[in-house]
Amino acid sequence: MFFPTDQAVPDTAQAAASTPYDSVWANPEVPTKAADGLEAVMLAQDKLYVVLAVVLIIWIGLIVFVLRTDQRLRKLERSVETGIPEEPAEA
Amino acid sequence: MANTNTSGVNVRRYRIIRNVVIGWMTVVVLGAFLLDIPRINILEHTARNLYFHVPMWFTMMAATLVSAYHSLRLLQTGAPVRDVRAKSAALLAVVFGVLGLVTGSVWARFTWYQGTDLWWNFDPKQSMAAVQVLIYGAYFVLRSGIDDDRKRARIAAVYNLFAVVTVPFLLYVLPRQMESLHPGAEGNPAFSDITHPIMRLIFYPACIGFIGLFWVLYTQRVRTALVQRRLDDAHAPL
Repeated sequence: MFFPTDQAVPDTAQAAASTPYDSVWANPEVPTKAADGLEAVMLAQDKLYVVLAVVLIIWIGLIVFVLRTDQRLRKLERSVETGIPEEPAEA
Repeated sequence: MANTNTSGVNVRRYRIIRNVVIGWMTVVVLGAFLLDIPRINILEHTARNLYFHVPMWFTMMAATLVSAYHSLRLLQTGAPVRDVRAKSAALLAVVFGVLGLVTGSVWARFTWYQGTDLWWNFDPKQSMAAVQVLIYGAYFVLRSGIDDDRKRARIAAVYNLFAVVTVPFLLYVLPRQMESLHPGAEGNPAFSDITHPIMRLIFYPACIGFIGLFWVLYTQRVRTALVQRRLDDAHAPL
């Protein structure tokens, strides 16, 4: 099932007033353990570093894609230089 | 054809769009960080993720449309170039889909799930977006199982046309219909009543920019694959 009802944080009295899936937010006692390492960093500067993380993920993802295209070009170049065809590209 | 190189791609147009996209995205990123926005409780600066996370899904939708168009044309004409284009666009649909999922997870971790150590809590919109990415992942699994080129192109095209039918439901209708932590049940997953209108000034250019970026990366892949095909044909045993 995609929508397990046993949420990691159990619903509390307020749950009836909330939507079925926002148990975390609906919980009036948001677990307020002191922000530890990663969270302390990410919550600093009004959470600006969360945006930085998102931008970096996209940047790295796209760069990996570009490098893989580069790899294919390199293969083609080698195949042209040697005159021997590479294995046909995978589907 | 004028301006068309051996791989059948209009390189002059490609270069113009590429340069425009580079400049455009630079301005978008600058605007995304420099434009002052109201500070909202819980969201705070992460509201700026609107400019980066949401366009991933717009771009994925655009990529699936491009892919489906070429799959349709493949079934009509049987031209191998259509298969190359459909496959390249589908690959980028998966890339942007995965980026959308990961960025959404990071965003949720420090807003909805702050203090709970949760990265994923099976929010139905997240789950269905993951299903959408898997549907396109299956397209590549299907392709890898068929050895004959023509057969693979046709079967993959038929699957792709089924896959694109799920996109409006999983990425458009469901986020607007279902109640969950993710905004949208009131009609718009990108803008809710706490989203300041000024953010549209960056948001729409960001969507256009990322779709342009998709087009650049997609065209690079198509060019590479078409050169590969020509080389394979030239070396093919007669």
